[in-house]
Amino acid sequence: MNLLNDIRFQILRHLRTLFRIRVWIFINLVQSLIWLVLFTQVFDSLGASFAQLPGLENASYLQFFAPGVVVLTVLFGSAWAGMGLLQDIDMGVLSKMLATPVTRVSIISSRVIASMVMLVIQALIIFAIAVVMGVNIVTGVPGVLFAIVLISLLGLGFAAFSNGLALLFKRPEPLMGVINFVALPAVFLSSTMMPPELLPGWLDTVRYFNPVDYGVVGVRDLVLHGYIWSDLWRSTLVLGAWATAGIAFGTLMLRSRAE
Amino acid sequence: MSVIVTSQLTKVFPGDIRAVDGVDFEVAEGEIFGFLGPNGAGKTTTIKMMNTLIKPTSGTAVVTGFDVIKNPAEVRKNIGYVAQDVGVDEYATGRENLTLYGHFYRLDGRTIKRRVKEIFELVDLAGYEDKRVSTYSGGMRKRLDIAMGLIHQPKLIFLDEPTVGLDPQTRVHIWDYIHNLAKVMGVTIFLTTHYMEEADRLADRIAIIDLGKIIAMGTPDELKQAIGGDVVTLTPCESGDEACQEFLRQAQSALSGKPFVLGMQPTDDELAVYVNKGESAIPNIMRLLANEGIEVESLSVSRPSLDDVFLKYTGRTIRAQEGTATTYVQMQRKRDRR
Repeated sequence: MNLLNDIRFQILRHLRTLFRIRVWIFINLVQSLIWLVLFTQVFDSLGASFAQLPGLENASYLQFFAPGVVVLTVLFGSAWAGMGLLQDIDMGVLSKMLATPVTRVSIISSRVIASMVMLVIQALIIFAIAVVMGVNIVTGVPGVLFAIVLISLLGLGFAAFSNGLALLFKRPEPLMGVINFVALPAVFLSSTMMPPELLPGWLDTVRYFNPVDYGVVGVRDLVLHGYIWSDLWRSTLVLGAWATAGIAFGTLMLRSRAE
Repeated sequence: MSVIVTSQLTKVFPGDIRAVDGVDFEVAEGEIFGFLGPNGAGKTTTIKMMNTLIKPTSGTAVVTGFDVIKNPAEVRKNIGYVAQDVGVDEYATGRENLTLYGHFYRLDGRTIKRRVKEIFELVDLAGYEDKRVSTYSGGMRKRLDIAMGLIHQPKLIFLDEPTVGLDPQTRVHIWDYIHNLAKVMGVTIFLTTHYMEEADRLADRIAIIDLGKIIAMGTPDELKQAIGGDVVTLTPCESGDEACQEFLRQAQSALSGKPFVLGMQPTDDELAVYVNKGESAIPNIMRLLANEGIEVESLSVSRPSLDDVFLKYTGRTIRAQEGTATTYVQMQRKRDRR
């Protein structure tokens, strides 16, 4: 009971903070829009030849890439989640909090859940924009909800790892380094930008070790192809394990590095 | 009844840095206990062992009746902690900050509402409850910070360097407030400071800590009386260069062994001479120095301060401690502490 209350009140705090940073909201919304418009312009030259590729069933690049944008937004949003905790460490908010009876687990989990709430809102907005731009989501509203579950698990894992690393390093520089080192390769070592059929063989193997790919494959199935359960089950299980591992890491770091 | 009892409390950080080295003390109920020492002496580390933020390497601390190692959860319920950094959320209002802490201490909604109102009046912030903390001045933030440690009416509150970085006026304001907290509301206060004046003004009893060890303990008066009557401070030269050092050595040897001198303590550019009666000692001192051909640039008589106490026990002034060669080690320690 204490745990749930602690989580609830801290989530409210984190969401309140985010909503009060107006620039942050603006940037995040504009960013996804730019990705959708800009990337599809860049790859537009692929045109009809792209649509002829196997497995695409005459989809446009926009249609192919829209699920990727959702996943990218979640990836980049959650990977930076640890910065807020760093701010708390730096301002002395965390150590002050740790001297109160607050449940330790709630400190990390509330942050991660708050990040998720924001990212789900953003993802829904991107889906809406994509539909307006002409993307046809074959599984409809239930499919979107399923997609939200998948990207929530993906983001949960990244946000928890990010918070754990913030506690491990206690400095922004190494955290930023790790995020830059991981995030962009994680995108390119997946089928986010290109269909698997176009990837070189080794990359097609590597992507199986990349949680981002499980998110992309699942969401893309739901948008383009419908319920392909063999993919969807795998994605759900792998991302569930990924999220669990992240939370375990974050909590472990809080227990061992709170000194 | 003692609110805090420590026994051989020790913290060794990696690299064999003995931040706190076998510290013993007791704090009685309703007392303001001052922990006085230069930066890096081990004050914050001691606080963090007592408020459960770090584990002692050895020794014990019993805080509000509970052992900090065996029963940290009970300790946390009974204490308030105001760290050196102002740990308030800038994006939230004062009320939001306090309310969150009310929830952390498991108070119900109605109690929180009532306490918030009381506390804002107590710390003189009434009317600012719903303003964002980012619009508060430094002094207001500190008062809110202290208020957050009080929401649950703790028996004991830890104040770590409560007036660092505040202007003199605000400092006096905070002092009054801390004084009232203990004397009117009966809260036991454990206070660390590197300001002599602060410890002198506020504390009922003081422990002087240096390099992780308590080197003297008692009421401010007891500590000062241990020095003797008056302090005559000789300043023969302006800077701490070689010639100046030589002057100090000559002056010290000219005065040593004289019956009216109770003790002497040189620093880089001054010589403190402890005497029974300052007024009658000055002519003697002047004559003795003139005999040796030593000119004195200035000379002053004062009642002993805690600064003199610190000087007597460590051979250094607290002022000289700030920003010296020890800084690197301190930074190292500070990082490890976080």
